[in-house]
Amino acid sequence: MVSFSKEQIFIVTGASSGIGEGTALLLNELGATVVGIARNKERLNAMKSKCKYPENMFLEIKDLTEDINALPQYIKELKNKYGKFSGLAYCAGICQVNPLQTIDYDEMKHMFDINYFAPIFMVKGFADKRNNVGEGASIVVISSASALARDKGHLVYSGTKSALCASLKSISKELHKQKIRLNTILPSNIKTPMTVSDNNEYEISQQALYPFGFGEVSDVSNMVAYLLSDKAKFISGQDYVLDSGGVI
Amino acid sequence: MKKAEFLSALEDVLQLEDSIDENQNLLDLEEWDSLSKMAVMAYYKKTFSVEINLNDLKNIQTVNDLIKLAGSNIDG
Repeated sequence: MVSFSKEQIFIVTGASSGIGEGTALLLNELGATVVGIARNKERLNAMKSKCKYPENMFLEIKDLTEDINALPQYIKELKNKYGKFSGLAYCAGICQVNPLQTIDYDEMKHMFDINYFAPIFMVKGFADKRNNVGEGASIVVISSASALARDKGHLVYSGTKSALCASLKSISKELHKQKIRLNTILPSNIKTPMTVSDNNEYEISQQALYPFGFGEVSDVSNMVAYLLSDKAKFISGQDYVLDSGGVI
Repeated sequence: MKKAEFLSALEDVLQLEDSIDENQNLLDLEEWDSLSKMAVMAYYKKTFSVEINLNDLKNIQTVNDLIKLAGSNIDG
């Protein structure tokens, strides 16, 4: 069973919704101190109201794409406020379906900002050895099965997530000397506010593709907690596909 | 660039907990490894448009030696 102590402080981005929210709540329930980051104050407060140990749940309102170059400095400020971090769970992301006919350069850049550049610069800040606890620290980044599946309409989304996996693999090797582990999770078909659709026909067509049905947020957050914990001390530089059974 | 500004930038590139001065022997720092040397090379190119290579860095010992590689880009 994975458990943490309140001396272990984890940053969770995208903490107001979906996988980020589920991860923040689970890490808190397992005993860790959580610094949950998101843009929306009301939704962050709503998340905190559901948590088991409110005294170990801290909230930070921040748009990560506002000044991406300054994100390492932002992490440094968080470190000065809370202490050195044991882990980072990067769960912020956006998904927009856009076939070639409708792609737009500015929209593409925005998607790369939140899905690629922001996590890279958050990892840069976290991995600065002045900001983390050193040996045993662990990073988990939520990518997507789209990084490998590359379906129609997902050219931009798949591009951001493929690029993310590629760069993180390289970064994981740079972090060996600090004994920091870095892994990515590539979920697919998880029911979250980001992926839920009111298009029943689409959902039914998708169901046929997923042998174990739709996934829950907890299917991902449990994996995040495991990879952040010392139980996973042997594991780094890996991409874990969570896709309801061999779709990819 | 002023020397003090460079020292602070170097502390960030090397991710040093403590401040250093120009007489600091780089060989005494555990942070002065191959990855850090790559980072310093990239920093020189980006900041000073100065290309240095691993050979240049092999022959230096102190921060002062490193400053000399930047030529007139670092003063005072």
